[in-house]
Amino acid sequence: MQRALSTRGPLVLASLLAVLLALFGSGPRFVPVAAAAGGAAPRTLEEYRQFRALSIDILGRFPTRAEIEELERPTFDREAWVQKHLAGPAYAERLTRIYMDVLRLEVGNAVNVTPAATTLRREQVQGPDGKPIYVYYRRGQRRAREATDGEFCLSKEETGLEFPQNQPPRGTAIPVKKAVLDAETTLVRPWWLYRDFLQVSPQLRYGAGWNDADAAFVPGDRLLKEPDGAETVEVRVCKEEAQTRDMGTLHATGRVPPPPGTPPPHGRLKPLPLDDGYAKTHKGEALSCRDAMAVTSSIDCGCGIGLQYCTPGDGNGDQPNAFALPSRTPLGDSAPLPRTVQSISAWHKHWWSEEVLHFFGRIFEEDRDFREVLTARGTEVNGPLAQFYRATSAARCCSRERAFGMNDEIEPLFDTKVVPPQLFPNETGSWLAVPDRSAHASGLLTMPVFLEKFASRRARAAAVYTAFQCKSFVSTNAELKPSTEPNLMVRPGCAGCHATLEPLAAYFSRIEETSTVYLPESKFPLKNPACKLGKNGKAPGFCDAFYDPAFGDASAGLLRGAYASAEHAKEGPQGLADMVVRSPEFASCAVSRVTASFLGRPLSTDDDALVQSLTGTFTKAGYRMRPLVLALVRSDAYRKANNLRSGTPRQLPTEPAVPDDAVHGGTK
Amino acid sequence: MRALAATTFVYTALVACGPPSVVHPESAPALSAASRVAMDTAPKEDLRLVPPEAYMRSYLQWFGALAPADVQKRAKGADGNQLFDSWDDYLSAMGFPDYRNDLPRAQQTNAIMVATFERLAIALCDRAVEHDLKSLPVTPMAERAVFAFENQEPMTEAAFAPRFDVLHRTFLGYPATLAPGPVSRSHIYYGLFSEVVAARQKSKAKARFTPTEAAWAAVCYGLARHPETHLY
Repeated sequence: MQRALSTRGPLVLASLLAVLLALFGSGPRFVPVAAAAGGAAPRTLEEYRQFRALSIDILGRFPTRAEIEELERPTFDREAWVQKHLAGPAYAERLTRIYMDVLRLEVGNAVNVTPAATTLRREQVQGPDGKPIYVYYRRGQRRAREATDGEFCLSKEETGLEFPQNQPPRGTAIPVKKAVLDAETTLVRPWWLYRDFLQVSPQLRYGAGWNDADAAFVPGDRLLKEPDGAETVEVRVCKEEAQTRDMGTLHATGRVPPPPGTPPPHGRLKPLPLDDGYAKTHKGEALSCRDAMAVTSSIDCGCGIGLQYCTPGDGNGDQPNAFALPSRTPLGDSAPLPRTVQSISAWHKHWWSEEVLHFFGRIFEEDRDFREVLTARGTEVNGPLAQFYRATSAARCCSRERAFGMNDEIEPLFDTKVVPPQLFPNETGSWLAVPDRSAHASGLLTMPVFLEKFASRRARAAAVYTAFQCKSFVSTNAELKPSTEPNLMVRPGCAGCHATLEPLAAYFSRIEETSTVYLPESKFPLKNPACKLGKNGKAPGFCDAFYDPAFGDASAGLLRGAYASAEHAKEGPQGLADMVVRSPEFASCAVSRVTASFLGRPLSTDDDALVQSLTGTFTKAGYRMRPLVLALVRSDAYRKANNLRSGTPRQLPTEPAVPDDAVHGGTK
Repeated sequence: MRALAATTFVYTALVACGPPSVVHPESAPALSAASRVAMDTAPKEDLRLVPPEAYMRSYLQWFGALAPADVQKRAKGADGNQLFDSWDDYLSAMGFPDYRNDLPRAQQTNAIMVATFERLAIALCDRAVEHDLKSLPVTPMAERAVFAFENQEPMTEAAFAPRFDVLHRTFLGYPATLAPGPVSRSHIYYGLFSEVVAARQKSKAKARFTPTEAAWAAVCYGLARHPETHLY
């Protein structure tokens, strides 16, 4: 203050200079303190710094010069300024960051999302005129022709090539006869090329008539070009994949396994595919073309109109590239880094993360009850997520589950019926609310990004325990003695953590590990006689993935993970969410996380009174974050958090100023 | 000679096989106090590192509120100066967490982070000089995010002060006149400005910037990587 006052003389001159320069349009655009204050007391350094801190914490950036001028006006009202800005994307992003730092909800490279039923790969063959062309297909697609059943739709005899999986074609390409090409493939105007792909004759092609595509929708260049570099106008797809019906029929050939050593017929690389057991017994019956088994058990199901249920890749590998994505989105999807073409899996996983960011953003921007983060059954989805929930998610189920009579997801965590039908896969910028995902939905706990990031039951439980109860599992007994005790809640050396962890993990017993598949009671009873232990003490092999032989007996197998609490297994993630939000730690943990983040330091026992007071504010306000943040930035602790003199004793808000004898010799 | 060797061998063997020497424990003598130093155990406020999100968002703003990809393009430029690599190269060094790979947010500065801030500051300030002070036609004042003033040659200290204040507010968020310290911050930076101008005037090397432009760039570097810019 003294310094500011002592500089008033030169500043008056400077202000005159500024006025003159401003009048002539060439002067520096600065507003000296005294001039800006219009005769009122100039702002102190502390006020400027607090304003800067508020701007960084609430607006997510440094204040601009114009905003500093606003502060310097005598009419500036700090309280009103804070109230005004405790909304909007920057504020929501600031709070979201707190939980993203804890949960790290992005999925790494270990997780692949390329189910056969929805992944279109492609091979390059020679067209009738000798020019190279691409043909899209699905792995494992059943076809009526033996030569290509379960494989690429053009044979070695027709193309001169063999198509080994994950390798370039082998052989010398020959032109495919036009009649063969016409018989086995179809030209399609797909969703990634045409905005109006649902029309009979789509016209609005990406970059040629469709010039207002969403900014985040960027097909890889190789999806837009033919092998000779010409622009792709239509894609050639194997005819089975190009089919558009919603319902198909179960296909079975009655084929029997060939004698051992029999070479594959028709120059095939693999033996002829055998019929699925279910398809054999239900041959000719109807099935949904969105079922995962439609690709391997029917010949009349495809990717739908404009291939809308499938995602294209630019090769024949396990992880073909598809769309351009920002390598990182440190400031959110609205300010992406430069894009590079990435795999189909990366495409899906990117949108999983965006879903949870939108979910958090909605809670904070609309100042909703924070408990919804664990309990809400709704979410928001855009086009790629709608496509994922409509088709890709279902296509990731079911294989091992079929032994229990589950051929497709019976009780999915996101019901395909509630996916907004108006969202197309290419609409990355349109986000629509889905009020109720399913009967089992529970906040972020049932979102793919959470379930795949924390792939095991215990990891999921520990993540919730840490993030929302601010507790962690620390071993109390490092001595691990050899033990055959399967119950970790009592095993010496394990019980210290697992006595708490196992009952929490039991809430996730009905969601498969490394997956998002829900195991319904109707197919996977808690105790399953089909998985009882035999005389050799073992259960049938198909049970192992779902039933734990360590806790089974001669009458039934016990669902994996449920041994700690059958009740928790029954309640599912919703039971966990309910238990957590009712616990006293939930509110104080949320308050502690937000407070520590805004103060920029870990909290200590010194802060207990502050946290207690803020927790009261938070809970009285219905667990809404805005009143909490408002109370926090009003607090002395926050005002003093930007004290640049690092030697200054902290002034605790509920205590008198630190007495002189706080600085003492030696240890107290 | 042989007798000597034999005697030595026998003696050595006897010593080696003898009982081990024992060092009896005894307490070390107490060190005498040289002086008494007060230990301050009172809890202290500490400086907070500006979150990398806030820094990056501000950085984009200083480039005229461009998108990150556009800032990267403009900062890299086409002049071969290699002022900027890519955001991907800087994110971790700036302290951003990497959720995909479970790398946490950096809460404290480190040498690589400081070097990155320096590099970012140089890229920003050089491109800002080109955009705000050097471009033809002249960039309108409203579009100058950093050097929102007219350059002037020669630059007196009186003329320097209000211009410096513009930069000080941009990066540090308060008027230069309020900066703590026994000497006026504007005066200190005017010294830097003058030194750069003098050095450039002496130099015969071909340069992109005029002496005052180079001096403004140097002042900008100093503020953009000032500890107060990165802490709050």
